[in-house]
Amino acid sequence: MSWRQRIRALFNQGKLSADLDEELEFHFAMRKQLNVQDGMSEKEAASAARRQIGNKTQLKEHMREIDLFTFPDTVWQDVRFAFRMLAKHRRFTFTAILALGLGIGVNTAVFTLYRAFLLRPLDANNAKELVNVSCITDQGRYDANFSYPDFESYRDRNHVFSGLIAATADEVTLSDAGGSASSVGKVVGTVATAVGFRMPSVMAGTAEFVSVSLVSDNYFSVLETNPTQGRTFDSDDAHSTTPVVIISENYRRRRFAADPALIGKSVKLNGVAFTVIGISPQDFMGTSLNVPSFWIPLRFQELLHPGDDILHDRENACCRLNGRLLPGVRVNEAQAEMNLLAEQLRSLHAAHSDLSKPLTIQLRPGSPFGRDLDINLRFAIALIMSAVGMILVIACANLASLQLARSAARQSEIGIRISLGASRSRLIRQLLTESALLGIAAGAVSMVITYWVLRLFIVEIAAALPAEWGAFALRVSPDMQIFGYVFAISLLAGVLFGLLPALESSKANLISAIKEESTRFLALTGKNRLRDGLIAVQVAICLVLMINGGLLLRSSIRTLRMDTGYETKHVLSLEVNFPDGFGYTREKEVSEVRALEESLRSLPSVESVSIGRSPAGGGLRSATVTLEGEHPSAENSRILYYNYVQANYFGTLNIPLSLGHGFSMIGAGIDPAAIVSESAARDLWPGRNPVGQKLTLDGGDQFHSKDELLPVRTSYQVVGVAKDTRGVLIDGTDIRKVYLPLPAARLDDRPLLIRTKGDPWLLKDDIGRILSSLDSNMIVNSFTLDDLLRTSPQFVISRCTALFASAAGSLGLLLASIGIYGTVSYAVVRRTREVGIRVALGATKRNVLGLILVESTRPVVLGLLVGIIGAIGVAQLMRAILFGVTTLDAVSYVGVSALFFTIAMLAAYLPARKATRVDPMVALRYE
Amino acid sequence: MTSPKNDILQGTLALLVLKTLQLVPMHGWGITLHIQQISDQVLRVEEGSLYPALHRMEQEGWVTSQWETTESHRRARYYRLTTTGRKQLKNEEEKWTKLTNAVAQVLNFAPGKA
Repeated sequence: MSWRQRIRALFNQGKLSADLDEELEFHFAMRKQLNVQDGMSEKEAASAARRQIGNKTQLKEHMREIDLFTFPDTVWQDVRFAFRMLAKHRRFTFTAILALGLGIGVNTAVFTLYRAFLLRPLDANNAKELVNVSCITDQGRYDANFSYPDFESYRDRNHVFSGLIAATADEVTLSDAGGSASSVGKVVGTVATAVGFRMPSVMAGTAEFVSVSLVSDNYFSVLETNPTQGRTFDSDDAHSTTPVVIISENYRRRRFAADPALIGKSVKLNGVAFTVIGISPQDFMGTSLNVPSFWIPLRFQELLHPGDDILHDRENACCRLNGRLLPGVRVNEAQAEMNLLAEQLRSLHAAHSDLSKPLTIQLRPGSPFGRDLDINLRFAIALIMSAVGMILVIACANLASLQLARSAARQSEIGIRISLGASRSRLIRQLLTESALLGIAAGAVSMVITYWVLRLFIVEIAAALPAEWGAFALRVSPDMQIFGYVFAISLLAGVLFGLLPALESSKANLISAIKEESTRFLALTGKNRLRDGLIAVQVAICLVLMINGGLLLRSSIRTLRMDTGYETKHVLSLEVNFPDGFGYTREKEVSEVRALEESLRSLPSVESVSIGRSPAGGGLRSATVTLEGEHPSAENSRILYYNYVQANYFGTLNIPLSLGHGFSMIGAGIDPAAIVSESAARDLWPGRNPVGQKLTLDGGDQFHSKDELLPVRTSYQVVGVAKDTRGVLIDGTDIRKVYLPLPAARLDDRPLLIRTKGDPWLLKDDIGRILSSLDSNMIVNSFTLDDLLRTSPQFVISRCTALFASAAGSLGLLLASIGIYGTVSYAVVRRTREVGIRVALGATKRNVLGLILVESTRPVVLGLLVGIIGAIGVAQLMRAILFGVTTLDAVSYVGVSALFFTIAMLAAYLPARKATRVDPMVALRYE
Repeated sequence: MTSPKNDILQGTLALLVLKTLQLVPMHGWGITLHIQQISDQVLRVEEGSLYPALHRMEQEGWVTSQWETTESHRRARYYRLTTTGRKQLKNEEEKWTKLTNAVAQVLNFAPGKA
């Protein structure tokens, strides 16, 4: 009876029972017939026959027992035997389980994170019905933001959504809230700090920044989520003018110590009193990426930011839109109608707006990510996932080579079993059972590993984010689907590689299997290719991982060490923020900043204080530049990045001036002075002296905020040239800079840069005192310029991927080393006899040693070659994120290759040497 | 559960059934009849032992079964030997011969005879 039939038998009791009934009926009928022929009466014949057959139920019971005994009997036997075999070769078993478990575990963790974080839907009920609304303008620009009047038009005129919501993120200050003040200051995970990440710390008076979400009134009802306490915004509120707010459970716990009577209380946001009317569920994120502290109706936006009218300004694209499709409406139908509506709205937009021109509305499945991920991020993700995948391959190859090595030893055992009558299928079944057991054990180990990796990751991330960013709620548990997939692959690989040697050996000639000599030669010649191939594969993949990890690591170190062109360690940057709602005018802000500057200068360890954007700071602005005598046209339009700075900026940051002089010594020129960077000068006036040249800057059609200070077709005269400083853009275009003098009336909106004698952090207390004595409502972000470098995209990306690739590479190295060492040394041990023969026949020990070393390390060398080529290929792909390191960085390549080669040599040398030392007679008898 | 007498018969039952099936596929009733007739009514196989034995032999892979129609147009389950079954039959026959020879030797032993 085949396996399938047996399994079916276990589950098919009903049918079997019916079959047996029929069979016994037939038997009974025949017996009765015979009895009648023998002379009994009908009745007698029947009862005699029935007595013969006996108790039918008992019979069936008996049959069932047989099923139970014979089926699991053999399976149970197999399992017990497999257990014994695995326990006997403890080292193999342990290594195999660990290797496979690590491979599966790490893969599951990474893919789980990817899915949970990047592929997650919106946090709402029936999230599948929700879509993201975005548009593509005539120019090809993608925009996920719409203005409030447009939102209202779409909301009121559409027939495809059961509800359309608008939301935008914002930061406001919370004051007079009582309760326990949140801990401000550096909150960074220990691991994150150790590998070099930094977060800006906040020095505050009594005001705190909180992250909020401004939403339309129907937000909660469309997302089909209700507050756990209190109520949501409803249409009554639409007519009332009492400012209301919903607090998140997360924030209530963290800031108000889970105050049970919070509803009805009032909190001051940006100075305006809001009444708390409800509490949103724990970890509820809605359409955001994180949990906001408060949900505020969009209607009250102007209260929070006076002067900023988003409710009526059709050109102010403030909010993201999401819609819930009506049942039965398909996405393309909805998209078509939205496009019609967009067409209708075109005439309502101002002529210069992109929205007055043809555009396309796109509806995509609801996601907290407004747009497709940044290309760099996607690249880094792809890198991480492939690195992790490669670990799995290494683990499987490892397992395979270990099993191969073992199978060579078991050939005699298998041969004996065959001679004793074991069928081939039985043998294969038994080996499969072993592989299955290994796989199951590895699966269990991997679950543990996945759990811990996920926990580590989440805890570190959550700890590294400042409190002002809202709560980061990642509900991640190991994804069983992913686990199943990965587990299946590994099991398949493990079983396959366990099967190959089984098939080989079961075919083996009986006699030769028992005779040791032939066995050994079989192991030497026949299997060689497969084993060597596995070794080469492991080496190659591992090499790729490690070399590229090394490259990334060196690159990320370089981004910090590379000469930036300005002082980073002894300069502190203070970003001062004046919260809305406290009645700050620009004049007031400027005067406070000036006062701050003066006070800071008076501190003893402060060498110099200046105001201006730091080279690596945010707020990068560009302008089109035209030279003297040129007419601006499409052909000669150039972009230059400008920075308004005070005169002592260059001295504070230690940026040398290579030509000319600074702002303070303004000549009698008519045009205001400007200082250009060396590369800008080279670009604009190649081969000529830039000092004295004139240029016109226009920042009007480049990106800028409202009311920002910017040059509008202003002419400048170059008075000096500064040495280049490293910028933030990955393509390096922002080293072409022009520095413009900062007017005294516009000291707001720019950070203060403080040059100190010693460690800037020693001044923390002094600065804090000055801040609170000056104005306790100011909120100040502080960090050294060195810290700032660590937040730049180049650093973060390359450091993250470096860490990851290195970790993956090290893991792979560990696995590969074990595999290589085990396999190679084992193969050499098996040749001990051959060594004895050779020595007995007169070969010198050195010759034999050499021969074995060469033959054993051949596959490793092959793997190294393939691996190096592969590594170069991958490095070329990664060119974009490797800074300061060439793709052919010799140190990485040579270093890692040498490491592998050494391991392989050792693995071959040690047992070979032992073999040559042994007395040839003993070696010949060695089994 | 089973008497000692039945044990011996059960061990040989497999042998008998296998031998019966060697000639031609049969249903359970046919096997019972055959054994009874050929052994001159000495060996009577009970249904309570036959069908479990047949089931076990099917589990072990020595026989396979199929539903067919008899000459009298009734449905019955026919059993036939497999290759493994034939091998098993050979083994069992050898074992039986060995056993009976051994027993005969012990019985024929008389002290003094050379």
